[in-house]
Amino acid sequence: MLLLRALLVALGLFVLWQAVVVLFAPAPYILPPPAAVLAALAERPSLWQGDLLTTLSEAAIGLVAGTALGVLLALAMVILPPLRRILLPVTVVSQAVPVFAIAPILVLWLGFGLAPKIAMATIAIFFPVTSAFHDGLLRTDPQLLDLARLYRAGRFAQVRLLRIPAALPSLVSGLRVAVVYAPIAALFGEWVGASSGLGYAILHANGRSETDVVFAALLLLAAMSVVLRAGVDLLTRNLTPWAPESER
Amino acid sequence: MSSLSRISLSATSNPAMSSGLTGGSFADAPTPPVERRESDPPLSRRMTWWGWGERIALATAVVAIAIASLGASQASAADKLTVLLDWFVNPDHAPLVVAKEAGYFARHNLDVELIAPADAASPPRLVAAGQVDVAVSYQPDLLLQVKEGLPLVRFGTLIGQPLSVLVALKDGPVKSLADLRGRTVGYSIAGFQEAYLARMLRSAGLAPSDVRTVNLNFNLVPALLARQVDAVVGAFRNVETVDIRRHGGEPLVFLPEDNGVPPYDELIYVTREALRGDPRLPRFLAAVKEATAAIAADPAAAWKVFAAAEPTLDDEPNRQSYALTASLFAADPGRLDRDRYDAFARFMREEGLVEAVPALDTYATELR
Repeated sequence: MLLLRALLVALGLFVLWQAVVVLFAPAPYILPPPAAVLAALAERPSLWQGDLLTTLSEAAIGLVAGTALGVLLALAMVILPPLRRILLPVTVVSQAVPVFAIAPILVLWLGFGLAPKIAMATIAIFFPVTSAFHDGLLRTDPQLLDLARLYRAGRFAQVRLLRIPAALPSLVSGLRVAVVYAPIAALFGEWVGASSGLGYAILHANGRSETDVVFAALLLLAAMSVVLRAGVDLLTRNLTPWAPESER
Repeated sequence: MSSLSRISLSATSNPAMSSGLTGGSFADAPTPPVERRESDPPLSRRMTWWGWGERIALATAVVAIAIASLGASQASAADKLTVLLDWFVNPDHAPLVVAKEAGYFARHNLDVELIAPADAASPPRLVAAGQVDVAVSYQPDLLLQVKEGLPLVRFGTLIGQPLSVLVALKDGPVKSLADLRGRTVGYSIAGFQEAYLARMLRSAGLAPSDVRTVNLNFNLVPALLARQVDAVVGAFRNVETVDIRRHGGEPLVFLPEDNGVPPYDELIYVTREALRGDPRLPRFLAAVKEATAAIAADPAAAWKVFAAAEPTLDDEPNRQSYALTASLFAADPGRLDRDRYDAFARFMREEGLVEAVPALDTYATELR
């Protein structure tokens, strides 16, 4: 059902794209028709067999590493409140520095393999996770915390039994934001030194004025982002049965 | 944050602030905040303190200025021509900058605007799309663009020889091209560098698969100096070599034209097919030719003109780069070496970058 709906939306976008091509008849190097882009995809299996997998693994590993880092940082700041005054500005600074600017330096430090791209994705991902999870941890119902103290629950027990469950819905929101940024951050890493990946493919095709291949790679990137996001939605669907989503 | 927004909220909701502008004296005692009534004119109307007289006077002035400037531009009547460079301004562009600053373009009745692009691959596409008239581009890339259907024509040459080279470090592991076996070679985006590397490797008895290639997207020198790569291709002999020395490295340079790659024009002028017969283009080439002759006659004086126009480039690396470049500018920018262009197109086909050798006249012309 979900798959069918996704296919219908994709089909709708393709029809819109084709309509623009038919109506305005742009030169193929300005906007290639959908058929040319699909043909480029079919002609270059390396795009989805190699480049897509490279970028996907960079983004996925970065997502796991960034989420772990974000959760740990948020927990540390709640368990040791003085730490917050040091860590919070540092996390903000890490986001104020554009990944685009530090990418060339990360490449010099970490080489041209997966490492700098995973580092970039981690940097981009941990912040929304830290920020959302930390807010959630702090917003635990104070009456519940009072009750826990009456029962002489320790600091760790309070965090484990009350704060973490209360913060899970926020964590899910943070993850949903982060997952969209993961592929872009990995792409930035590929921009400054790579032998494979969708960013590498885009750069290469751009250098050769192959606009249809650029669009084909972008298409794969978009599909990957949608799948990653759907994956996070699926994984977190039953994480918070006490806070269900209601559409009405 | 919240107190700030409260202040701005009260400022907009307090009519006293705007009534001060509608004609009431600023010295009036502050009016207490009053509720806005339905009958009040909208804030935007009350904010305008100009009467109709002032409006008509202003409109007349605007029209007068427009007519005056229109007349002035017709009086000078130099034909506008926009030229998109291949890269940010650097000593490679000296003939263009000198032609503009020393008045050679003006003497040919041209008002030339030089624009630096954000991305080295975009200028030809912007020309094809009609956004600019002329772009500085590269002969190898032109063939790739023509293959992709861009309606481009080369009509002049800025630098009629390769500048691109393969560079290693003298104290590194690579002493000859044969030493590249099993090594990592970095390159920039420009389309044909893999083919050119392949040809150089074959000339040394290696196969392209004997090296690992990494796209560095213009971060060539830092990667080489940090020893993340063993060599780079696509570095310019007159720019990156200076840069490497400046950072304490000693470059070991391998010239493509000595190692199996046929000679080609590194920097060319392209326009779109529709402008092939445009009368501005021969005048543009004539002005560039005169500027090039001036550079050849007195390179030091020409550098002064260049440095005055681009003060941020007036430093030692750029002076050294200019010294290496000043003798390389095409003395006759309009000349087209037909045999050499065809030979290079055949090289591109042999390396599999184009399927067929296009007829020369479809993508290059000699304006006379």
